Amino acid sequence: MTIGLSTYLIYVAISIALTIWVGRTLHKNGRVFLVDVFHGNDALADSVNHLLVVGFYLINFGYVSLALKLGYAIETAEQSVEALSVKIGMVLLVLGGMHLFNLFVFSRMRRRATAHHRPPIGPDAFTPVQQEAA
Amino acid sequence: MLFLTVLYDPECGLCRRAHEWLNDQLKLVELNFVPCASDEARQRYPQLNHDLTKQDLTVISEDGWVYFGPKAWLMVLWALTRYRDWSYRLAAPELLPTTKRVVSVISQNRYQISRVAGLTR
Repeated sequence: MTIGLSTYLIYVAISIALTIWVGRTLHKNGRVFLVDVFHGNDALADSVNHLLVVGFYLINFGYVSLALKLGYAIETAEQSVEALSVKIGMVLLVLGGMHLFNLFVFSRMRRRATAHHRPPIGPDAFTPVQQEAA
Repeated sequence: MLFLTVLYDPECGLCRRAHEWLNDQLKLVELNFVPCASDEARQRYPQLNHDLTKQDLTVISEDGWVYFGPKAWLMVLWALTRYRDWSYRLAAPELLPTTKRVVSVISQNRYQISRVAGLTR
């Protein structure tokens, strides 16, 4: 096995492991948020949670796959480590971005669900209401 | 909040048309229409300044909170299933001054608008 091929394999292995780790974290901790957003409707929360995580995996694996190619030949172990650091660093940044985006989506859903019962503005005045006399 | 009482101007064609439109809309909060400064309104709200309610739309919650003018319009939007999101958008600090200006212009000119639009009786 050439050093170039092993670099690619290490890159793929680390990227997949990282993506799965972040995906599982999101799946596990996002559920609590979603159950709250959907007022305790567990089935709906699980469904939305699962769909969000599938999208997360698709985007990340898509990026990992697209960013695989190095474009130059690797001859030494040092070059391999350097190439890996750049590639894995990019994967980490994309994962971080996606993670923050997911958090943003969760918090937005939650805010919308909780803020929706309040009137948009405060009243001007108060007046006593005469109860309907029979 | 379960229902809102809307004190509207029965003399104005635009208001009657809006009333009909509102009756057809899906609501999250029930709207109860009472002509402004009518006997019914005076009986329900003995301490309210009823001359003021003739000048602009007034909305009163079931527990007695009064929303006047542009705020009343926003509360009516808020009561509608399809437009609740819009009530928050129009009430946002960046848009509220514009909302107030537009609503005031429409309110102050409602008889002219009704005449031009052919909504007079």
